[in-house]
Amino acid sequence: MKIIVAIKQVPERDAQVRIDAAAKWIEESGLQYALNESDAYALEEALQLKEKHGGEVVVLIAGPERIGPTIREALAKGADRAIAIDCADLGKLDALGVARLLAAAIKPENPDLVLTGLQSDDLGQGQTGVILAELLGLPHSSLILHVEKTDAGLTVKRELEEGWFQTIELPAPAVLTIQSGGNKLRYATLMGIKRARSKPVHQVTAAELAVDAAPVVVLERVALPQKQKSTQILSGTPKDAAAALVEKLKFEARVL
Amino acid sequence: MLLLTATLAEPQHFSLLEKLLLVVLVVASVGGFWLRFRVVLDKILKSKKDAGFHLFPIGKRVWDFVWEVAFQAKVIHQRPLPGLAHAFVFWGFCAFVLVTLNHFASGFGAGFLDPAGYFGRFYYYLAAVFALACAVGILGLFIRRFVVRPKWLGKKLSYQSGFIAFLIFLLMVTYLAAFFVSDADPATRVLWWVHTLALLTFLPIIPHTKHLHLVLSPATVFLSRGSFSQIPPLDGDEDFGLVAGTDLTRLVSLQAYSCVECGRCTEHCPAANTGKLLNPKEVILSLRGYLNDLGPASDAPLMKSLAAPQVPFQCTTCGACEFQCPVGIEHLPILVGLRRGAVNTGAWEDEYGSKLFLALERGANAHGLPASERDKFIQKAGLPIFDGTQEYCLWLGCMGGYDPKGREIIADFARVMNYLGTSFGVLRKEKCCGDPVRRLGNDLVFQQLAEANLDAFEQNKVKRVVSICPHCVRTLQEDWKDYGTPPPVEHHSEFLARFADKLPKRSSRRVELSLNEPQPLAANSLTRNPREAGANLPDLSKSQPQSPLSTGSEEKIVFHDPCYLGRYRNVYKQPRTVVKLAGELVEAPRNHERSFCCGAGGGLVFLGDETGERVGKVRAAELVATGASVIGTACPFCNSIFRDALTEIGESAPQLLDIAQLTARGLPVSGAS
Repeated sequence: MKIIVAIKQVPERDAQVRIDAAAKWIEESGLQYALNESDAYALEEALQLKEKHGGEVVVLIAGPERIGPTIREALAKGADRAIAIDCADLGKLDALGVARLLAAAIKPENPDLVLTGLQSDDLGQGQTGVILAELLGLPHSSLILHVEKTDAGLTVKRELEEGWFQTIELPAPAVLTIQSGGNKLRYATLMGIKRARSKPVHQVTAAELAVDAAPVVVLERVALPQKQKSTQILSGTPKDAAAALVEKLKFEARVL
Repeated sequence: MLLLTATLAEPQHFSLLEKLLLVVLVVASVGGFWLRFRVVLDKILKSKKDAGFHLFPIGKRVWDFVWEVAFQAKVIHQRPLPGLAHAFVFWGFCAFVLVTLNHFASGFGAGFLDPAGYFGRFYYYLAAVFALACAVGILGLFIRRFVVRPKWLGKKLSYQSGFIAFLIFLLMVTYLAAFFVSDADPATRVLWWVHTLALLTFLPIIPHTKHLHLVLSPATVFLSRGSFSQIPPLDGDEDFGLVAGTDLTRLVSLQAYSCVECGRCTEHCPAANTGKLLNPKEVILSLRGYLNDLGPASDAPLMKSLAAPQVPFQCTTCGACEFQCPVGIEHLPILVGLRRGAVNTGAWEDEYGSKLFLALERGANAHGLPASERDKFIQKAGLPIFDGTQEYCLWLGCMGGYDPKGREIIADFARVMNYLGTSFGVLRKEKCCGDPVRRLGNDLVFQQLAEANLDAFEQNKVKRVVSICPHCVRTLQEDWKDYGTPPPVEHHSEFLARFADKLPKRSSRRVELSLNEPQPLAANSLTRNPREAGANLPDLSKSQPQSPLSTGSEEKIVFHDPCYLGRYRNVYKQPRTVVKLAGELVEAPRNHERSFCCGAGGGLVFLGDETGERVGKVRAAELVATGASVIGTACPFCNSIFRDALTEIGESAPQLLDIAQLTARGLPVSGAS
């Protein structure tokens, strides 16, 4: 089973993000980058499928020079090889442009399955995976927690709202966007990092892929959200206060 | 007077037949010894060479050898009665080297110690004193093993040990008896031959029993790794720790064969004492078994020879085993080595462990909290940022930066530093020191953390570091050395003890008005500054006559030695100095180097529920039983563990305070900025 996992490098979760001078993007200098969270789960799902059925896991990533450590991390965790699309201006591209680049790199590989994270932690559009499916002419499903290979194709577990799940079957090859939390992530090991050194990383450019990735959606302005703080003190007996708290958590905060 | 006139009787002539018999017996005995010993030696020498092992500086090795082997001081100090008994046997053996050489030489008519000569007579008397002590010693040890039977020696009675004890006793008795017979007496010949046979029977038993420690342990003590719990560097691209036989180094093999099976390690092990699978003695013996069965060239996984794969992961790395071991076995590099083998290859699967590793791969702290939480705390507590001009860099650590109780300790310690006028600052960004991953054997993450932090120290021109956490202190100072040169680091107990004469001291008349209500104190503008204390004292006692503490008795504080401060850093006195400033020091039953772990170390605090009884609960109960009203800690992890354990006791539980807090509450309320 040949699985391609498209991954993205995003600013670290704790990063103190600043807006750049033109207010068109964030200030990238001084930021630490890490593997996008749901992409990490996509990679984990791919590695588990490989462990069960054999085959190959190829990671595919587009980005500037700084993607090196993220590629090594993916290879260290068990991917067999990597394809790196040199893309210095990833921040300026839109989901369509990125998907075009990825699709062009995937096509000659003829994979049995393409996985990618549900959405990126920086832009959070959730578009790249589904556009990618369209460009490749493959069926797709999103918000996937678990993938099973069957004789007919694939059976996947999909997360719906309010705690509902849906199990669907679809033919392979397909493109699936993976939701975080379906598996337990593995940690990178010293042995993995050392073995990763000898794994091939294929570098390609947009020109070599013959792709025009010029954006059709133009980013007008980025801004930090306004800080808001509204503390409420719930009065009354502990019993009443607890009941009021549950109400608020359910219907205002919607976390229960 | 009979004794002083008596000389050691020796048969004067041996027949040719006797000489031939002696040759055959000696050859058989030495041959038997060598055939078996060669196998052991071969396994040790065919093991991998130890990376990073240096014989120099040799001074400490010589000292350890003299102190632990020659003087038997460690054994005697840790267990006086059996220790002395053992020392008598050992010293008896030493004194007997010359006697034995002469004994066999005399069998061939070449004896060189004349029983009537000055030196000969002196030496035989000397040896007789040692022989008597040795006989008493071995008898004592025999009684201990077969009558008293401490449970750490194992359930099974070792008849081999009994037989060996009998042989040693026989050797001494036959020697002493020869003073009471004359040369011509036929009994002399009988004594001589019984002595000879006992010795020649003893020799070939040595290599395949625990008595091998006689031959190996002097070398084991001398060839230690150099410092406590020293984790060796990984050697090349294929070294991931102790995975298979090929990873066993000469030191590990030497130590495995040196084990005397006394069980001190297990007796003091917090895991073994709370119903876990880990038994340090069995781990060492399993490695010996592996070497015997499979050898140092085997690819078979070492984990398979253990009782279960989780065994090494139940170790709190408290180091009681390594500290106690009388034959120089270094358990921690072995246990951590086994963890390294499992973690560095990805063989170890543990939900909590993976979570911890992922948190430290991506973020900066073991709690998995955003780094901004630390920033918020620094702002709220008003801690100055280190800019290279201050004397000290105050290292917060994961507990000090992210844990609510740890933060209280930091805030109080900062108050004390301000009071003393010591300039300090905290790093703008700090990553976990790497202690949990170092002990759990994740070398990849440890290296990343150590390098990032060393880099931050260098960029900020940090010259001195002080920390409230003994784990950070140890890791910064010792473990980071694999990746750079850390600045000098000290624990806050060392810092505080140095300023002991400048810190407020509570005399027996001083009272703590109310720990929970500092406000009234400030309102009354009472000062607890020692320089003004005298003037305020009468007023104090008048204003609070109902305080139970104003009756003249000092508050009793029981101090818990953290493993990483005591056994790891040999710091016992300083925290006690600090505690004594705040009240009356009470010792727990197990204290100083015998302190019983809280259960948090070795990354275990992050690994979820324990099996068996909780180590921390056992220790907390022991501390509570001292009747002290305060438990004094010097490690935020111990503090956190005891906080949980004391919650179960409820409101009658003693107060739990770090030494920094004990000091801070004696500071003047106003005036401390």
